[in-house]
Amino acid sequence: MLSFIVKRIVFAILTLVVASAVAFILVHLSGSTPGGVALGQSATPEQVHDYNVAMGWYDPWIVQYANWVGQVLHGDLGVSLIDGRSIADDIGKRLPVTAALAVFGTLLSAVLGIAMGVAAAVRGGVVDRAITVVSGILLSLPAFWVGVLLVFVFSVKGRMLPATGFVPFQNDPASWARSLVLPVLTIALTAAAGIARQTRASMAESLTQEHIRMLRAVGTPTSRIIYVHALRGASLPILASIAIQFIVLFGGSAIIEVLFALPGIGQAMQAAVGNADLPLVQALVLVATLVVVVVNLALELLTLALDPKLRAS
Amino acid sequence: MTVSTTSIVRPRRTDRRVGRTLRSSPTAILSLTWLIGLIAASLTAPLWLPYGPLEQDLKAVLQGPSAAHLLGTDELGRDLLSRIVTAAAPTMLVALLTPVVGIGVSIPLTLWAARSRLVEAVMNRVSEIVLSLPGMVIIMAVIAAVGTNMVVVMAIFGLLLFGALYRVFFGQSTSLHRQLFVEAAAVDGVRPMLASLRHVLPNMSTTVIVQFVLIFGVGIGMQAGLAFIGLGPQPPEPTWGGMIQAASKFIFQQPWMMVPTGGVLALTIIAANGLADVLSGGAAKPPPLISLRRRRTPVAESSAPAQEVAERELSIENLVIGVDDGPELVTGVSLRVQPGTVMGLVGESGCGKSVTSYALLGLLAPGLSVRSGRIRWGGADLARADEPALQRVRGLEIAFISQEPTRALDPMFTIEWQLAATVRRLRKVGRREARSIAAQLLTDVGIVDVPRVLKSHPHQISGGMAQRVAIALALAGTPSLLIADEPTTALDVTVQAEILDLLRSLVAERSMSVILVTHDLGVVADICDQVSVMYAGQIVESGSVRDVLLRPEHPYTMALLAADPHTIAELDSAGRLASIPGQVPAPGSWPSGCRFADRCRFAGLECRVTISLDPRAAGEGGVRCIRRDEVRGRQEEWRTPVGAGGRS
Repeated sequence: MLSFIVKRIVFAILTLVVASAVAFILVHLSGSTPGGVALGQSATPEQVHDYNVAMGWYDPWIVQYANWVGQVLHGDLGVSLIDGRSIADDIGKRLPVTAALAVFGTLLSAVLGIAMGVAAAVRGGVVDRAITVVSGILLSLPAFWVGVLLVFVFSVKGRMLPATGFVPFQNDPASWARSLVLPVLTIALTAAAGIARQTRASMAESLTQEHIRMLRAVGTPTSRIIYVHALRGASLPILASIAIQFIVLFGGSAIIEVLFALPGIGQAMQAAVGNADLPLVQALVLVATLVVVVVNLALELLTLALDPKLRAS
Repeated sequence: MTVSTTSIVRPRRTDRRVGRTLRSSPTAILSLTWLIGLIAASLTAPLWLPYGPLEQDLKAVLQGPSAAHLLGTDELGRDLLSRIVTAAAPTMLVALLTPVVGIGVSIPLTLWAARSRLVEAVMNRVSEIVLSLPGMVIIMAVIAAVGTNMVVVMAIFGLLLFGALYRVFFGQSTSLHRQLFVEAAAVDGVRPMLASLRHVLPNMSTTVIVQFVLIFGVGIGMQAGLAFIGLGPQPPEPTWGGMIQAASKFIFQQPWMMVPTGGVLALTIIAANGLADVLSGGAAKPPPLISLRRRRTPVAESSAPAQEVAERELSIENLVIGVDDGPELVTGVSLRVQPGTVMGLVGESGCGKSVTSYALLGLLAPGLSVRSGRIRWGGADLARADEPALQRVRGLEIAFISQEPTRALDPMFTIEWQLAATVRRLRKVGRREARSIAAQLLTDVGIVDVPRVLKSHPHQISGGMAQRVAIALALAGTPSLLIADEPTTALDVTVQAEILDLLRSLVAERSMSVILVTHDLGVVADICDQVSVMYAGQIVESGSVRDVLLRPEHPYTMALLAADPHTIAELDSAGRLASIPGQVPAPGSWPSGCRFADRCRFAGLECRVTISLDPRAAGEGGVRCIRRDEVRGRQEEWRTPVGAGGRS
């Protein structure tokens, strides 16, 4: 048990090393240099060269990588080439925005998805076919287009919610909530479909187990069979699909954040790539990987806790 | 050793099946038409489109659909139809790169990993790391490095899918590698990679094609998403994502703009996903074991007058069970179980005995229902009872134990939790009392180490122990009738005897009655008072155990007895076990006369007429054989082999 956890943590660190190395290499393969980006068009080649030398850009890659990792381990992610601000501070401000988006999006999609999946598996027939078709279509719709449609319905026509923009929680919780409704709904509608499919398949599987007949034979009420026994039996794959949705949402938040002008880390990544803000790109890849790794680790521990067979061994 | 590869049957070829699946599905035909048509239209666009994709008309900006511009115009007065169609081929052709690269890399590595443990260990780690990389973020970092060169970006995206693809392919390829014809090819001296490519890959083709199509759709969505956030091909080049981005900017002025582009993009991905869905066999799901919600199919009224039925007495009258819109499985079964007696229900697999036992508590699988007849239990008719009425009977008056004890308990909960929850509900007691009753029940069914078993999960106890727990669960509501569906079949011989002893003592102590479904005449002899022999959905012989087993009157009963290893010693015969030629005919293909005639060594022409269940010659009960008087006492003849349908 303990050795399993240690193994997973070692593996998580390995993943982070690979991700950071990939980010480092990609940044160094780009035609841009820190001096060229930071000093802009007006700088002379000599100025750019001097800046790069000062940054250690011409040191061997392995030295640069080791220096960067050393900095990161001290909590220093460097400064932006564009505005010179601390990247750690910037990400610290942006992380809550993306986290709120991903957490609420995942929660809502889990509720919708499980409800749809259970209904499809239990009711069968027309309900099942309808839910399968709807989830198939939702799964195919690009999230940003769904988002634009929702903006049209709720902002342009309904005038109920702001189309874009973000209000920090500490400024005005009500406005903060209103600014998150459409992005979260956009995410939930598309992500729910995947969870619904997994739930339907696992529930259907669960309901073919022999113990369901036994439970029925001792008079267990239908609702208890469905929501306590069958859903519990199906819970592990459903949980895994929810974790995958969370990871996808977190990594893919750029599109939703750009659409709704939310200052999260996805939007920062989009801007950083556009501006060739090299240290920010590197830092954001690392942070995004860290989130994936932590969520995966949490999922594994949760699976361990929820599966009696695994727990025992 | 040489084994010819050609001599070992290869599984059916999948490529032909894929073609047939596609042709027979309207969804697949529509999807393919859309995808191929769109690419063709796009490639030939300069020949037929009235406007170029970059042609501006500043006098006609942000227009809705009109005769001049069928899908309207954008903010620079460019024709939307031209831009959408022009963008289609580059998007879709570049999207093909992702699956080509992803599958092209994953397949050789998967095949290699399936043959070598070392490679497998390495690939497992690699795939797991790749799977843990945040794909979209890495792709954006790639764009930072190589710019918006979509060909490179989408190829690298294919590489990033290795983690997921390896997972999908690996299980299938390992199991295929273990199959005989691949091993035989290896023994034949075919080079390993060649053997994999020639014998394993073709059998994975459906999976590969499905993944290819799915990833193609994902690739299109990814390109559109990147273009939407400005990281795709740069304006003025038309891209679907870029056009939706523009539409979102002008949503207040001209909401129409997002409809055509988004619609085409969505339809294209829907087409790809729909195609993959059809190829993978659709969204098939296993049917649930029991109908959770009973459809009220009316049970035909019985014309026969209802018999007097005492309290705690079960009387099944002319029960007919059928597949909805299908054949009958059980035709006119009648039996009576007195309080405190054990009724054996015997027959080969597929005779309808389990189905009959499920019907008693309304536990038939979906698609099966009682068509007519009565299941009288005291004053009630369970064949017509509604769900609440059945709920009052289940567990409290009639209980059930299943043939698979280890699977009959919920693997997710401890035995104490399951048992106590049932006790609380059935006996309406509090938590603490329920727990002590649960412990007492386990003691009653002969479990020695009660505290340990209570704390265990089902997978931690043996099969015999699990069956005892299942019996304890069935006893939780102090039922008067226990239906036991092959309760000892899955258990070791020594454990079987213990479970039978337990059942016998329960009958004696609690004056419970039992319906014991079994194919084992030894079990019947051991514990039953009455026995009904079923064949092909009907009872062919019934009576007291003594009469039926010692003086069988039906050839089928005789054959079962002669085929039963237990009887050899007892009957002191030549020691040869009989085998009954042929199989139980499938429901729907039953002959109109005696259903056993085709397998019966005594059958004659007279057996082709419908035969009724008539009273036995000796004792109570019935026999369904027209030649009963001629065959009586001739069961030993079954021990000499004879062809099916032989004449006496």
